[in-house]
Amino acid sequence: MSSNPEIPEVPVDQNADDSKQPAPPADGINTPLPRPVDRTAVEYLPPALSVLEQNIHSARTPGEKFFPSFAVTEGLEEKANERIAQYPDDQKRSAVLPLLHEVQHRFGYISPESIDWVSDKLDIEPIKVVEVVTFYPGFRQKAPGKLHIRVCRTLSCAMGGSYELMDKLCEIARIDRNASDPHKDPIAVSPCGNYSVEFAECLASCGTAPVCLVNDDFHEDVTCDKARELLNSYQNA
Amino acid sequence: MSITYEQGKKPHPNEHRLIFKNVDRRGWNPSIKRYLKEGGYEMLKKALKMDPKDVINEVKTSGLRGRGGAGFPTGIKWGFIPPDNTKPVYLICNCDESEPGTFKDRYIVHQDPHQLIEGMIISAHAVGAHTAYIYIREEFPEAAITLEKAIQEAQKNKFLGENILGSGFDLEIYVHRGAAAYICGEETGLIESLEGKRPYPRIKPPYFPAAIGLYMAPTIVNNVESLCHVVHIMRMGGDEYVKLGTPRNSGTRILCVSGDVKKPGYFEVEVGKITFRELLYDMCGGPKDGREFKAVIPGGSSSKILRCNESFKIGRGDDAKDLDFWDIPLDFDTLAAAGSMAGSGGVIVMDDSRRMSWVLNNITHFYAHESCGQCTPCREGSTWMKKVSDRIEGGTATPTDVDTLEQIAYQIDGKTVCAFGEASAWPVEAMIDKFRDELVGETSEDNDFKSKERIEQEKFLSSV
Repeated sequence: MSSNPEIPEVPVDQNADDSKQPAPPADGINTPLPRPVDRTAVEYLPPALSVLEQNIHSARTPGEKFFPSFAVTEGLEEKANERIAQYPDDQKRSAVLPLLHEVQHRFGYISPESIDWVSDKLDIEPIKVVEVVTFYPGFRQKAPGKLHIRVCRTLSCAMGGSYELMDKLCEIARIDRNASDPHKDPIAVSPCGNYSVEFAECLASCGTAPVCLVNDDFHEDVTCDKARELLNSYQNA
Repeated sequence: MSITYEQGKKPHPNEHRLIFKNVDRRGWNPSIKRYLKEGGYEMLKKALKMDPKDVINEVKTSGLRGRGGAGFPTGIKWGFIPPDNTKPVYLICNCDESEPGTFKDRYIVHQDPHQLIEGMIISAHAVGAHTAYIYIREEFPEAAITLEKAIQEAQKNKFLGENILGSGFDLEIYVHRGAAAYICGEETGLIESLEGKRPYPRIKPPYFPAAIGLYMAPTIVNNVESLCHVVHIMRMGGDEYVKLGTPRNSGTRILCVSGDVKKPGYFEVEVGKITFRELLYDMCGGPKDGREFKAVIPGGSSSKILRCNESFKIGRGDDAKDLDFWDIPLDFDTLAAAGSMAGSGGVIVMDDSRRMSWVLNNITHFYAHESCGQCTPCREGSTWMKKVSDRIEGGTATPTDVDTLEQIAYQIDGKTVCAFGEASAWPVEAMIDKFRDELVGETSEDNDFKSKERIEQEKFLSSV
């Protein structure tokens, strides 16, 4: 089930290439926004793909340059075996989630090749991995930005101003969340690939709303006026 | 030795801290060294010398009710493992904490992981489990690392592994991370997820986890807070513990207050000893300046909303009495009698600046996103509710839309495999019940909504 060689390579929009674009100025808010990049051409799949292929397809994003492409390393094998050992010998399938987490942590997202690897590793049919990948919102199938920001949108955070925070983050990072259907594709990546945003459901810190996760770091009380400060704190990361 | 807390984090005098004793404590850290200094794992030593049946009886005596949402007595749950069982028994700690409004487990697993691990070892000893899993939500990446480190420390100190402290009891605990799905908080959904599948909940009967759970073997699934309480029950003894709180609602519980109050936060109180007035005015500092309280969701977003100017008739026959909203004690039974539930202890407060249609819309979006899709009424209904509430919130609805919404909710409730059906329908039912006028007020007879399907249909219908 590895990616079909006949599938035409989807060209990456040249405008999205970060190397030709100046880094966003520290005070980007007052500088005029560049011409919006039309990414729709990249998001839509060539019609030649079957439903299954569409489900495992990883759309190209400007964030992918920050992640290595999938490769089975010694470290990954070792960690995977460690995880598999946590479950009874005849229940290796239980390790699907832990293995996918390992893959996503190292490579940024779940690619078709990694689905094959996980299914081989656990001796299960690839579809049993695909169904898990597509069900859980915690797994993504395309590269996020270098900083992936998950903003909580559930009641307490929404009352605390998480929608305003999301708008502000999009404004600073020049992300257009309306470019794709958030139901099918909740992650929006900035043209420079440095940032991506996603609305998350309850992050369980309602008392310190609004909250967000930046990669694996948790931040609380992030009102929209602190958005720039938040992103700046990662400048040197 | 007196305990001091971080600046501004001092517990309110009304609090009674057992589980949260070390949260925000000055000089505290999650290491085993620090935990042992405070007499950590002493209760484990005590429990290992006891017969497992006596441990279960002690928990039964304590009257501890599960803190995850349903409030089922923990000791009785443990007693459901079939006596003639020959399969391995599993213990699972439910750390999925995904009910909107709830944020108690976060502080336990981040700041005091050894309390949970000690509680788990004692509980595993009681139910005879030799493998235990902590199912932790994906959104707690840091806590997963903290817990794994704590497990390693416990192994080094011989509290985990083979022949724990020479008692002959073996136990391994593993951390299993979820992947951001609300439904994994439902115990059978959680079990399916742990088996590496999509978390479609199983139907009860026959799939009561205590009889047929993980890998079809008996499994006990307990909330983080419940498992921590076991340590304190061991320390105090069931007879002493049951004196905390009120009859049938023993112990302490952590209330998490969020939303429109001056000082939101977590408060560990004796169950039923605190009323809404004390909680929201004394402990949370009252409404924000110039505002008034309007409505409260008492136990996580799936519990039914209560209006602050309501009064309730509690009790039956001669015992019946009228109780103002503000005088309701926060226990399992009174809140149930008031038509809502204590749930997971997540209190969400709304003041008079909030439009109820907006609140309703936010909640329906959550449930539409999180429905697992197994049962048709819930899968379709949650999305329909979202669409209709979108219209009400956006001011494009007709008054009949409110009735439609209510009908959809009642068609989900009670017609699904798991309690998610109720969880998604109850807030809608209650919101319409309590705020119908306000919702209808945002609609207009002039609005004429036609769905895409309707427009397509009309192309083939000739006007008569």
